[in-house]
Amino acid sequence: MPVRRLARLRAAAPWIAATLMVAGIVHIATILIMPEVSPRDAFARIEGLGPRATVIPIAPARPGRELSTFNDPAAAIAVCRYDLADGPLRLGAQIAGDEFVSFSFHTRDNVAFYAMTDRAALRGAIDVVVYTQDQLDSAEAQDPEDSAPADRRLVSPTREGFVYMRSLASTPGQAEEAAARLRAVLCGVEGG
Amino acid sequence: MRPQLLVRILLVLAIGAGLGFATSWAALRNGVAFDLVAAGPWVAAPRLASRARDPYAAAALARAGETPFDLAEGLVFVARADASGAKLDGACVYRVKGPTPPARFWTLTLTDQQGRLVENEARRYGFTSTEIVREETGGFEIVVAPTARAGAWLPAPADRRFALTLRLYDTPSAAAAATLQADALPQLLREQCL
Repeated sequence: MPVRRLARLRAAAPWIAATLMVAGIVHIATILIMPEVSPRDAFARIEGLGPRATVIPIAPARPGRELSTFNDPAAAIAVCRYDLADGPLRLGAQIAGDEFVSFSFHTRDNVAFYAMTDRAALRGAIDVVVYTQDQLDSAEAQDPEDSAPADRRLVSPTREGFVYMRSLASTPGQAEEAAARLRAVLCGVEGG
Repeated sequence: MRPQLLVRILLVLAIGAGLGFATSWAALRNGVAFDLVAAGPWVAAPRLASRARDPYAAAALARAGETPFDLAEGLVFVARADASGAKLDGACVYRVKGPTPPARFWTLTLTDQQGRLVENEARRYGFTSTEIVREETGGFEIVVAPTARAGAWLPAPADRRFALTLRLYDTPSAAAAATLQADALPQLLREQCL
């Protein structure tokens, strides 16, 4: 009896191995493909909020009213989505005071390729232009020979992407002030 | 091809695919990720915003739709358990005390274990470093409890487990997250349970 059982097991072994191999391939494939196919990734959620190349404030995170999970209710949030086919994107902000404000630049698939806080402001201002590599090349070709550009120039690894802005209200009473700081940010197509 | 063989091949494909989908779903649901940094009960994923994040983290992020912190913005720690390793339970009273790593600001937020804010009558979902009166040692103390407490009270949902998120804004610790020890982060001490 045990001999027969062993023989049956031996016959089934290649089938079990094949099943596990299929399972492994499907597992790896679904994990790898998820970022490409997720209908509810950050970019898709932001896309649903409004047009591109403009600052869109996101209502403060409150129970039942959140764009995603794990939000800081103390931070005002705004986004500016871009498609560089429209032209380069210019982002400008005046920084006053010592409250935390940050700008992070994300690709279509939510990789931050650059981030800065208010501490990176030069003479009280943040001035950034996001280009494709080609746009940057032609912008540089038009630069006057002897002067350094006044703005910070970034190359977006993807044509589409978004700027995510956080502005911290250090007490609940300052929530409106924190949101106003982001509403005052300029974000739009360069020369548009 | 013999029909019996065809049936076996189809079975292998169907069961294999089913297992594959099930394990992926379970991995995303349980937040499997490989480049996490743990300091006591606090867990951070410092590379979550970068290209270098692991595929599981990338998949979970795409599903959750979150926009994680870049290291230049700060560092985020999440705790789902207390100092003893027991899950944070809304029916218990916890004292959150001690130091925080150096940062310009920090905030402590209470959510359910999935990261959603929890409704409460006090409309208190977290504290910022500015709101907390520091002890002379530079530490602080917040009480997490389902019913009102004196001092800095963070309301917890009595019927659920919860999670605490510590966000360090503009911190020099971001680049050195992996070297942070548990004693550099707030302690989560459980007191009595209801």
